[in-house]
Amino acid sequence: MSDTRTRRRGPAVGDRILGIWSIVVYAFLFLPIIVIIMASFNSGRLLVAWDGFSFAPFAALVEKPVIRDAVMVSLRTGLIAALFAAVLGTLAGIAMARRPGKWVWWFLGLLLLVSVTPEIVDAVALLPWLVFLGQDLGLSMFNDGTVRLVVGHSLFSIAIVSYIVRARLVGLDAKLEEASADLYAPPVRTFLKVTLPLAMPAVLAGFLLSFTLSLDNTVVSAFVQVSGTTPWPVYVLSSLRSGLRPEIAAVSTVMLLLTLVSLALVALVLKRAGDSTTEIARTMAGG
Amino acid sequence: MRSPRFGLAVPAWVWLALFFIAPIAMVVWFSFGYKPGIFGTHANDVLSFDRYAEAMSPTFFATFQNTLWVGILGTVLCLLIGGPVAYWMAVKAPPSRRGLLIALVMVPFWTNFLVRTLGWQVILSPEGWLSSLLQGMGVIDGPIDVLYTRTAVLIGVVYNYLPLMILPLYVAFDRVGTPLREASKDLGANGLRTFLQVTVPLARPGIIAGVLLVFIPLMGDYITATVLGGAQGNMIGQLVASQFGTAQNWALGSAMAVLLILVIMLTIAVAAGILWLISLPFRNRSRLVLGEAS
Repeated sequence: MSDTRTRRRGPAVGDRILGIWSIVVYAFLFLPIIVIIMASFNSGRLLVAWDGFSFAPFAALVEKPVIRDAVMVSLRTGLIAALFAAVLGTLAGIAMARRPGKWVWWFLGLLLLVSVTPEIVDAVALLPWLVFLGQDLGLSMFNDGTVRLVVGHSLFSIAIVSYIVRARLVGLDAKLEEASADLYAPPVRTFLKVTLPLAMPAVLAGFLLSFTLSLDNTVVSAFVQVSGTTPWPVYVLSSLRSGLRPEIAAVSTVMLLLTLVSLALVALVLKRAGDSTTEIARTMAGG
Repeated sequence: MRSPRFGLAVPAWVWLALFFIAPIAMVVWFSFGYKPGIFGTHANDVLSFDRYAEAMSPTFFATFQNTLWVGILGTVLCLLIGGPVAYWMAVKAPPSRRGLLIALVMVPFWTNFLVRTLGWQVILSPEGWLSSLLQGMGVIDGPIDVLYTRTAVLIGVVYNYLPLMILPLYVAFDRVGTPLREASKDLGANGLRTFLQVTVPLARPGIIAGVLLVFIPLMGDYITATVLGGAQGNMIGQLVASQFGTAQNWALGSAMAVLLILVIMLTIAVAAGILWLISLPFRNRSRLVLGEAS
């Protein structure tokens, strides 16, 4: 059997070229990341010029208040934005899966629009809008840096969480919830004890993805941020002009580790919930 | 009595209406206004299309052309580079390794966009190791002179958006499944014919998804062009950003943002039209074949 199959698959040369091409592309995908990780151990003053090996750049995370603050702002915003997106997205996702109707298509259309709108458009639109709300309408909460960042980061994340939660619940039929209702559980109890636990893996995955999205957000953050609450990527962007130092690479490496840990958690959560590799790939590619 | 679950989506509706629809509506409104004097950012007491005319003036038109060029070429390159990889992952690679292979595409995808782009700035820098390596090997005479050009932007965008092409294509190729390909081969088609007549048509939704997922954000890219492009590799995203930033001309910036979206939609419509025209003869033929078979 295996004999005929290899013969039938045609010339193995083609397969080999495909394999080599893939390895080259993988190398291409990792090249700049490896470069940045290596630059984190550069003892020189500039990121570009290699001087010698050192752990010193990592010390900036503790020693430089500006960098420490930026990282803290990123982490805090990430957590709040992710929690917020998880709540709103989960509610919307459950509604779409369990109360389908014409409205779902409208809502999905809106979510699609949110996820395809170029970030720069969101960014320049939010800036005057937040100024309008905060200054013209006098809603002073929109002058707060963290609130602005959370608003900016929440949009795309809400869409992602809604997709993921809907996809999971659509895949599970509603019999359990119907049974719970038949057994006279009040709707709130059915929601808390049956629907929510069923959706939980998707909620967790959505939360973690939202957290990473928020950590990475640069464009919207750069526009809506208020001085004093500068998140890490915006700090990096602003130091482009003043010259990149190895400490930027070092802190980025630490942030990358954080991202990888939360992604590994996403994969673990989804795997435990019984998703196949392809389904996990779909979810992590943003629905 | 069932709980009113329709109501659960209301918070998200309201939130998106407030912070997505309303801000963009405001930008559209601003785009018909003008910049009043040096200190104002926008005014709307006189409405006109003048800002659109200004945005299409020769000063900015070159940037629109450049963006479209980078957008189309970048998307095509992503498809040509990422397509074979996705096919290899889904069809040729051992199934037990697929999880790892996907994870390896996920890592760059989820690495901070700005940081990845900075990596390329280091690689392409004239003082960088690639430059000295190529000079040492005698491939080039002087230090590489790519950074802050359109080529650097093209390398950057292809790199940055490649995972967005590979992932949906992988899912699409995986969906086609081995049985259909085996059946095609059992019926006498060779590998290439199976690929062109079975795999690609069935994977078409994924291919379209990949192309759109790359093309749309690529057209609106701001970071890659800022880090790698400099003055030569300008893109619309930067124009929009500079009007809202240093120039403080929100009216013109808004018109540019609206134009950016229109250009994206128009390009997609034109591409869809061309694809439809190309597919016409094939469609008739496949119908004929089906007709004969029945």
